[in-house]
Amino acid sequence: MVKVFVTWSSMIKVGRYFDKNYKELVKEVIDSLELGNKHIDYLIISSVLSARALNQLDISTMIAQYLGLNNVKTSRIETGESSGLAAIEYAYYLIKSNLAKNVLVVGIDKLTEYPTQVTNEHYNLILDYELETLRRVSPPNYAALVMKEYMRRYRVSREDLTIWPIKMHENAVQNPYAQLRFKVSKDKVLNSIVVSEPIRLLDTFPIGDGAAAVLLSSECSTECIEILSVEASTSLQFYLRDDILELPASKAALSKVISRSGLSSSELKNSLIELHDSYSIYGMLLLEELGITDKGSSWREVSNLDNINLSGGLKARGHPLGATGVYQLCEVHKLMTEGLGGNVFDGKYALIHSMSGPDYNARLCLIRRGE
Amino acid sequence: MKSISIHWRNKDIYYGIVVTECLKCGRKSVFKWSRCPYCGSRELRVLKSKGLGVVRDYTISYYRGTEDLESYPRIIALVELDEGVKLIGELVDVDVNEVKEGMRVEAVLRRVGSDDPNGIIYYALKFIPTLRG
Amino acid sequence: MLDWVKVLSRPESRAGIVGWGVYIPRYRIKALDIARMWGFPEELIKSLWIEEKAVGAEDEDAVTIGWYAAKVALERGGVDPKEVGAVFFGTESKPYAVKPSATIVADALGISNIKMASDLEFACRAGGEGIRNAIALVSAGFMKYALAIGSDTAQAAPGDVLELTASSGGAAYLIGPSDKSVAIFEGVVTYVTDTPDFWRRDLCKYPKHGEIFTGEPAYFHHITSAVSILLSELGLKPEDFNYAVFHQPNGKFPLQVGRKLGFPKEKILPGIVTPWIGNTYNGSALIGLAKVLEQAKPGDRILVATFGSGAGSDAFSIVVKDGIDDVAKRGPLVEDLLKRKRYVSYGEYAKYRRLLIKV
Repeated sequence: MVKVFVTWSSMIKVGRYFDKNYKELVKEVIDSLELGNKHIDYLIISSVLSARALNQLDISTMIAQYLGLNNVKTSRIETGESSGLAAIEYAYYLIKSNLAKNVLVVGIDKLTEYPTQVTNEHYNLILDYELETLRRVSPPNYAALVMKEYMRRYRVSREDLTIWPIKMHENAVQNPYAQLRFKVSKDKVLNSIVVSEPIRLLDTFPIGDGAAAVLLSSECSTECIEILSVEASTSLQFYLRDDILELPASKAALSKVISRSGLSSSELKNSLIELHDSYSIYGMLLLEELGITDKGSSWREVSNLDNINLSGGLKARGHPLGATGVYQLCEVHKLMTEGLGGNVFDGKYALIHSMSGPDYNARLCLIRRGE
Repeated sequence: MKSISIHWRNKDIYYGIVVTECLKCGRKSVFKWSRCPYCGSRELRVLKSKGLGVVRDYTISYYRGTEDLESYPRIIALVELDEGVKLIGELVDVDVNEVKEGMRVEAVLRRVGSDDPNGIIYYALKFIPTLRG
Repeated sequence: MLDWVKVLSRPESRAGIVGWGVYIPRYRIKALDIARMWGFPEELIKSLWIEEKAVGAEDEDAVTIGWYAAKVALERGGVDPKEVGAVFFGTESKPYAVKPSATIVADALGISNIKMASDLEFACRAGGEGIRNAIALVSAGFMKYALAIGSDTAQAAPGDVLELTASSGGAAYLIGPSDKSVAIFEGVVTYVTDTPDFWRRDLCKYPKHGEIFTGEPAYFHHITSAVSILLSELGLKPEDFNYAVFHQPNGKFPLQVGRKLGFPKEKILPGIVTPWIGNTYNGSALIGLAKVLEQAKPGDRILVATFGSGAGSDAFSIVVKDGIDDVAKRGPLVEDLLKRKRYVSYGEYAKYRRLLIKV
């Protein structure tokens, strides 16, 4: 049976790169890749804003040409905010089905290419254009309704929910690749600019550029980090859901991962986890949906959890859209091998979660340290 | 420049509220679907909503795009229509501190995205506190 | 006692009002705030009798206002939109200089594609002309129902005295056969001449007017002419009317023209709305009429005189039938719309009405 390993990873600090274009960022991030006698069978690019901010169609070919890769198979994968993990999923299946031995996955997006208001409009397109976007609904509006319902159902105050950004920022201080490497206080969160009440600026990801890359291979030599499975699911439109505190796609993807891998509840709770906290309330709901904490009490446990979003999560590491999923895998790979910012994870399993919008589609990637 | 055909062909969902009723599982959903979003059946009936309903929840949004800058903040509400379906829409003609869960609203035609002085004007439905006793 | 044989003797009496609707935006600005902004003396406000005016929100325009009024008119009449054979949209603040507003409203209301439709311009009386067209088409048997809308988001040059009154609002009348109506047209007369009292040149943003010239030679002459001819043709006197509704550019003019024609204040006041919502141009007389219809009793006779600069006036004699109460109840009343208000500052009003230039 073919196995899939992460054999190399690299990322650049998430930030504002007004002086570099996307090609230069990609070149920078794959600079340290030494193939030796390996040959790249596929180059998969994950980029959400390719046709918008980057003004580029067929971006994977443009990157191949820029890098001087001749006669190579490439394509771009896009599934909204979860594109990075979708690209990894695609690479995983290529290797698993013996069609490739080495696949290079690169995530690239530049959110600072245009003024924030323009980027906001691009980002709105992850929802249905004719039914949601044109009717002036945006992703933070959904997150706001979810947060209000959570506070109401579990009788939790707005102050209580500031724990997530506080913890994420604490984690990011130790991640040299994070965009926001500073601590925040409860007051700072509560007094930050309102995005969509009660969501404040410090509840959501910063605007930044990023590039991350991983090499997936069918063989590994030392420190083998294996991708056991990648599962995905889509779900119902937000306004058709009976319970807006449920994340149906994430739930479905998790149950597929568990049934395939036989992962136990305690193994899951002790895994290294990188999850998609595009909004702090989603981070907390995901802890509950993934079974790490009980429903309604994740916010109580956040301070105690030392294996969640050590990167700082989308909140503090950043969320360069198409690159995010690849960042997550890089972070897990580094934490399980050479370490990240002085942190090392000794455990056996890692679980990476990514989703788009209010869980319109979700992807889960289960990693195991090789024997 | 705005697309002419997108708005024109969707007139029935921008100028009115359309509800799909599944004849198999009985569930209703807003907008038109080729299959029931809940059970996947193709046996569907399309109804026109009267446009009356109740606010179930709302958020005050300052999330800015590049158009209609005069209309911030916006109140985005989850409205439950009398037909028993939910819908997300913009709530106007009401002060932020007047919005209450359970308040009755009606759908009205308003301009959206009208900054371009030379392009076509999009009209769509928003909600206001109902004027009908 | 009404002589029904006489009331129903003219062709226009084959048609009547089946339903009506009004829309007034929620926002108001006090006339005093406008006066203070530009340095008009406070006494001017009193002399015009204008207290505050309705301001359309940034997402409202003549089409959205006309749509609401027409929707209510259809609902009041209990008529299937597919039976409407014509839509006339009277406005001087069309969102498109070329592209009819009537078709947008028609499609948004589900009116049949087999219909007549057009936008009419004649300053403030285009809505009235729309009603005349509707009456003619229905009485001649061309169609069962016709919709006439008068709607405006009137603009005046900032700092011009017109700004004290130019406002947003509209009304719609669903005209149909007299046996389906709750009020019928006993008679109508229109009097029109070429009188340039108020105009707006193509591509100009704001209108210009002849100030005092808009009075005697325009407003007063045309209304008194149309009404006098109507009364003479019908053999009626002011005493035969319960109400007199006039086009109302301010609160004073309708009282003055009424007095000239011999109508006492008590018959005119019920139809006056301008002091509280401003001059809604094509909505003006038509909103006043709606307010009167919502309090009138079967057998009441109502005089309505529109006026449009350029200039012309329609004079209608309307007789109320049984069933008007029930029909009135089926929609928001003018009284309720008058009560729905929130004051805005001059800055907010300027933002909503696009007086601020955004490059």
